Amino acid sequence: MRAFERRKRDRVRAEFERAEAELLVNLLGQVIELLRDRNAPEESSPDPLFGQLGTTASSLPPEDPVLRRLLPDAYRDDDDSAADFRRFTERSLSTAKVENAQALVASLAAGGFDLDDPEQSVDPIEVELGERGAQAWLRSLTDVRLALAVRLGIESEEDAEAAAESDDPSVAVVVDIYEWLGFVQESLVQALD
Amino acid sequence: MGRVSTPSPIEVDEPATDEVTELDRPWVTIVWNDPVNLMSYVAYVFKSYFGYDDATANDLMMKVHHDGRAVVATGPREEMERHVQAMHEYGLWATLQRDDA
Repeated sequence: MRAFERRKRDRVRAEFERAEAELLVNLLGQVIELLRDRNAPEESSPDPLFGQLGTTASSLPPEDPVLRRLLPDAYRDDDDSAADFRRFTERSLSTAKVENAQALVASLAAGGFDLDDPEQSVDPIEVELGERGAQAWLRSLTDVRLALAVRLGIESEEDAEAAAESDDPSVAVVVDIYEWLGFVQESLVQALD
Repeated sequence: MGRVSTPSPIEVDEPATDEVTELDRPWVTIVWNDPVNLMSYVAYVFKSYFGYDDATANDLMMKVHHDGRAVVATGPREEMERHVQAMHEYGLWATLQRDDA
């Protein structure tokens, strides 16, 4: 990968190896799927009409810990307000997150990544972003890092250090990805700042 | 609160004062520390979303990092709800509450 750098005014550019782009697309796909499952109307909904009208929007926090981190409560010690807020806003938040992830995938595709057949992609893939694209990347890279952190059990600085020093190869692989995503994001923040 | 009966001046005055104080107390947006978000990113969000200058954004980020939380905005409830929603889209962990200061 070649880190993000400012190119012209308001534009930043980076290069990704094909395997890196494929990894990003896979991770984003998982986040998109999680969020979409959360948004899908309940199949057991007693009244499909109400389901279509969106009145089944949940007021309860998601059970999946990744979703709970991506869609957190807005009130800390006030369950009623947290439920109301969630009922009225969660869907637009999760939709925004899906759109950000899709924008990231689209910019990799625009840079030559072949979504149907990754082997046919150009290598490296060049990504050039304007202001809106950069904002989608920042947010979506964060979402993917949050998701991986939950899966790694990182809830404190100590957990993060413990994960980084883990001897378990299956943990080490995920930690490498997590840290690489941090590097990508750091370079993007520096390029924009 | 808001009782209409027996409007004796003495009984009405005190609750009314409390109520006004409660309504005047503003709401705050709090950002909580988390081990995932990069310090540079948190400062960047404070700068680009709230429009804080470099020094203020950096101070707030350090406050989140060291104290575990920081009040990043104060104002009406609806405005704080919009801020919290925006922070959640950025992936920051934010809540709103009445100012307890």
